Amino acid sequence: MIRRLSHILSDFDKLSQIYAVLVIIVIIGGILTIPSLEYQADRLYPKTIHPESPLDPYDRGGTPFEKTEVLAEYPENSPYLGYVTAYLTPFSLALATLTHHVGTTIVAHPGGIIDEILYNTRGLDTVVETSILFVAFGVASFLFLRRDEE
Amino acid sequence: MIRVFDQGIEGAGLFMIEFGDIVPYFSVYTATLFTFAIIFTLLATFSIPEKQMDIIFGGDAYYAKEIKPQDLRFQRFVAIACGTATLGAVVTGDIFNFTLFAAMIGITNIGIVASSRSHHVLNAAYQYGIVAMIACVPLFGGAAMILATTGTLSIWSLAGIGAAPILAKILLLLGVMGEGMAPFYIGKAEITRAQGAPFILMVHVSSLLLFLRVVEIILVI
Amino acid sequence: MISIYQSGLIAAFICIIIAFISLYQETDDLHRLILTDLTEIMALLLIALIATDLAEALILPGLVVMIAELMALAEIYLVKEGIQRKKNSSALDIEVMQTAPPILAGILVLYGIILSGFSGGAVAGLGIIFYSVCKGSDELFAQIETASGYAWVAWIAAFFIFLLLPGQWFFAVMIAGGAILIKVMAKFSLIGTMGGDPGV
Repeated sequence: MIRRLSHILSDFDKLSQIYAVLVIIVIIGGILTIPSLEYQADRLYPKTIHPESPLDPYDRGGTPFEKTEVLAEYPENSPYLGYVTAYLTPFSLALATLTHHVGTTIVAHPGGIIDEILYNTRGLDTVVETSILFVAFGVASFLFLRRDEE
Repeated sequence: MIRVFDQGIEGAGLFMIEFGDIVPYFSVYTATLFTFAIIFTLLATFSIPEKQMDIIFGGDAYYAKEIKPQDLRFQRFVAIACGTATLGAVVTGDIFNFTLFAAMIGITNIGIVASSRSHHVLNAAYQYGIVAMIACVPLFGGAAMILATTGTLSIWSLAGIGAAPILAKILLLLGVMGEGMAPFYIGKAEITRAQGAPFILMVHVSSLLLFLRVVEIILVI
Repeated sequence: MISIYQSGLIAAFICIIIAFISLYQETDDLHRLILTDLTEIMALLLIALIATDLAEALILPGLVVMIAELMALAEIYLVKEGIQRKKNSSALDIEVMQTAPPILAGILVLYGIILSGFSGGAVAGLGIIFYSVCKGSDELFAQIETASGYAWVAWIAAFFIFLLLPGQWFFAVMIAGGAILIKVMAKFSLIGTMGGDPGV
């Protein structure tokens, strides 16, 4: 038995299969515990939706270069919390005033709640994320160039 | 806020660094792991990789295996990146941040192995890479469930209240298993016979430290 | 009575089980790689169930990590299988490919710069892919690589400005926005050139 098991484990072509089985077992067990998983309503960065606002899903109020209310984990660590959220580039401001729906693209411009979280309060996440991209890209380009020269 | 240092495993709190919502902390436990990670990163940075000898069977001739300088540079770069990721993973005070660092360790481990030119080793790297990729599901999933059921990701706030669901903890552990599985299968890949010993060491050290850290997180939250 | 979150979890778990069963049954290496992409979406599903602004901000790193790993693994697969790019066989060799690129690519890059941020980078990257597919990309590769390195540094700099000089938040946001533009653009265009188009 143990020999059979170790034989399966030693074959790394089966590695992802073994892992898949493990995950499936845990998830099936997890389905049974779902009733005990309560959604915690009192949370950070709550999402509010005002369908009538031209900046709809990302409208958090505030005027550029002023503060708006943001519910961060440790507000005392980010003294200028809320400024980025309130900021709109002139271009996105123009879009928001001229049309009703195009303004939602503000998420693509600097400023707004997502940038506040990504760069300011959870900046370290973004640093790690770009580093991962950097390393993964380094691996890929190294292999690519080496394949090229051969 | 200081509750985290009351947990048995942590030991006394030394200091913390405030990066907005993410507050890495140094307790006796994490500081020890951090020191280990620093030592091995420095080793990988400054050591000269060993050159291996192939002995020709039946005679007394031997030749040294050649290591291409660009392979060497690349392995060193990835090993340092791996060390940096380990440094971050062992001290970070935020669960999602931890999972990101774990994913970074996974990809750098693949990178270290992938610089080999042997088909056998590359195949092992590929199979391990698949696991490291699908391990993102339990890893991020576990962190997401902790956030949804407790409303926070900060280990500081979660410490000691036992609010994190057991399923999320198991998923986290499973995810780290996937990212840190490399050592077992790298031995299998006979990469120990390939060049670049100090860099291969980084794979083992990072997975070990990652495991120790996830055990601490699971016990604390 | 189950809440919306719980019903969402049930759905997500069922999807995860299906995805991993398929991964279990697949033995071909290339198909496995494609299936990992499917499973990764399940992670995004679980994050999306949080349904706050934070969830949206967590999806972005999650997505990027997965794309990055996929890129590295795909390249390992090519090396492992010893797949070489085909020499001198152009897939698309029609006249419009010679004249249109500068104009179209220019428009896409300009629009991307106006959009800026992540999606802007994607649009601008698309423009560069288009250009390199049509025109070939000998020296482009090294330049893009350098540019993305600088973008990375700029991003780290923006992070430290937020940290040490929070008063300069505007400056930092602009640096970060510009850096992500360059970075995503570089990544996208590299994926395009690395696809191994014969023009290289």
